[in-house]
Amino acid sequence: MRLVRTELVDSREILPGQWLQSFLAPELAVGSRAGQFVHVRTGDLSGLVLRRPFSINTADPVSGVITIHFRTIGRGTEWFTRLRPGDPVDMLGPLGRPFEVDPRSRHLLLIAGGLGMAGIRSLADEALRDGRQVTLLFGAASARDVYPSSLLPDEVEYVIATDDGSVGHRGFVTELVPDFEAWADQAFACGPAPMLAALARLADGRRERLGVAKLGRKRGGGRVDPPGSTAARRKAFLQVSMEQNMGCAVGACLGCVILGTNGAPQRVCREGPVFAADEVAWDSGW
Amino acid sequence: MKAKRKVTTSRDVRVSNLKQLPTVRKTTVPARLDPLARLARVGPQPATPTGLAAREKPLATTPVDLAVDLGRGLILANPILVASGTFGYGIEYGDVVEVDRLGAICCKGTTLKPRIGNVTPRVTETPGGMLNSIGLQNPGVDAVVEKYAAQWATWKTPVIVNVAGESVADYVEVTRRLEGVPGVAGIELNISCPNVGRGGLQFAIDAGAAGEVTAAVRRATDLPLLVKLSPNVADVRPIARAIADAGADALTAINTLSGIAVSPSRARPLLGNVYGGLSGPALKPVALRIVYEVSQIVDIPVVAIGGVTELADVLDFLAVGAAAVQVGTAIFADPTLPVRLVDELGGECRRRGLSSYRDLIGTALPRKPGAPSAKGVEYRP
Repeated sequence: MRLVRTELVDSREILPGQWLQSFLAPELAVGSRAGQFVHVRTGDLSGLVLRRPFSINTADPVSGVITIHFRTIGRGTEWFTRLRPGDPVDMLGPLGRPFEVDPRSRHLLLIAGGLGMAGIRSLADEALRDGRQVTLLFGAASARDVYPSSLLPDEVEYVIATDDGSVGHRGFVTELVPDFEAWADQAFACGPAPMLAALARLADGRRERLGVAKLGRKRGGGRVDPPGSTAARRKAFLQVSMEQNMGCAVGACLGCVILGTNGAPQRVCREGPVFAADEVAWDSGW
Repeated sequence: MKAKRKVTTSRDVRVSNLKQLPTVRKTTVPARLDPLARLARVGPQPATPTGLAAREKPLATTPVDLAVDLGRGLILANPILVASGTFGYGIEYGDVVEVDRLGAICCKGTTLKPRIGNVTPRVTETPGGMLNSIGLQNPGVDAVVEKYAAQWATWKTPVIVNVAGESVADYVEVTRRLEGVPGVAGIELNISCPNVGRGGLQFAIDAGAAGEVTAAVRRATDLPLLVKLSPNVADVRPIARAIADAGADALTAINTLSGIAVSPSRARPLLGNVYGGLSGPALKPVALRIVYEVSQIVDIPVVAIGGVTELADVLDFLAVGAAAVQVGTAIFADPTLPVRLVDELGGECRRRGLSSYRDLIGTALPRKPGAPSAKGVEYRP
């Protein structure tokens, strides 16, 4: 974690109300992993007292550029859209724990709902770099909200579902998952909480449906990794990137918690934003 | 140095009576009680055995004395503290903040038993501030001591443990468990908690309850004791007076102001707990007013908190009588702010040719009213 002064290099509205911005930030581009985020200070001093958390959408260690992807939902995000190339932006990061891919996983299923693409996008790059195969399922309300395939690496298999059927499968993205769950060694998701909860239910019954052995059973020799540990997450079939209103983003204020299955609040900024699906108490109402 | 303004408190009345001064109201503060006299004694002295004394940091050519004594040997190297709930247990910001350069750290609110806190959402931004309703999530005093105290003991910066409870007995028991723990430099009572035994009435809104809990904790510990005032009261002065009379070493003013926000769908209040505490710059005028009121009627140091985001805010709070200042919400936007304020305060003193920041304290307080004239109302053209 560092405080980094970055510089905006590019800003584009890639979809109506959705922006993709690039920042020169070598410290963040080199040191970060897929799933981590940055906490960005708005330069607007007229009443915005909190930073804004953004997933690191892509990170290129060679050029030192990271991108963030966001929808304009208020004064803070609108401030970002007014930035021009060369403008300085103060970022705290990289923050949070990343996606943990099992070294033996060959086939990764990525599932994004709407703006959840921002949280999962960098994992596609990381997985391809490590020689894995990636299928990305994407769900949106309609064709106008569909993330442009031109912004994805060619090697990614991109499958789309829209609520109105204007492109791809008509219905929820979660309905696409059964077609891929046998192929996938691991799944990673980011999106609205109901979507993630539905995926968690699907993942729960997967082993029984497929009759497959639990990943890591042979090597584990009965050893149980503590829930939430990197080792335990690596073995989890489904990992999810969670969202919550955030204050400090370093674990100090306890504002951004979700309830864990262990009964204890888990800080999205510190224990997350990525969790194994079975760490999250989906029905808690938190 | 400007004399401390004061209005007679019940304690002074007691002192006056003892000294058989029936006709002349005693206006000078006993040195034992006068925070400024105590400050004057601190000075740039060598480090005390507790290691809490002013750190000699050559900022420039002229050394400026930033040390402040909050009572019972709680001597801070500078008057910039970080506020409870915004700085966790002091370790969360890692290398981003030079913890050793802070005046003191008020840690997250600590209770007797672990608490999981409120349902979410717990925080939201509001114009010029934020609302939070964390619900005192913490692992309980024993776990706090076990996990953090050893590390605190290695720091130059004193850690003041913020204590919360649901009954007087709770506060006393938490305090007992902190007593004598290396690394615990003091206690700050969060009394904006419902007193379960008294129908859920907050301690902080009732002078009797506030005095009672302060006195009980005072009896239980020799640790420096700060008590945090709530702004959610009609008149804070009787409460402040009761707390001071009950033996608190310093007051912290203020806690958050109660408020709510509405969800974007307008179907319900936004926060899971409905009510939240407002903090940030929006709160500053309220905090200034309360520090202004309180610092005139108590003899113990007032630690101001509420919307500090820059040096000008620190200077404002000092001017209305604060001896020190806590930085809270602004840390979220700029974690390096508190340390920078220490440097800027020293720089400001040098610029003005002051050898001590204490000359900045109380400059905006009203002049002390003179003794009533024997000739009736004076006419002043």
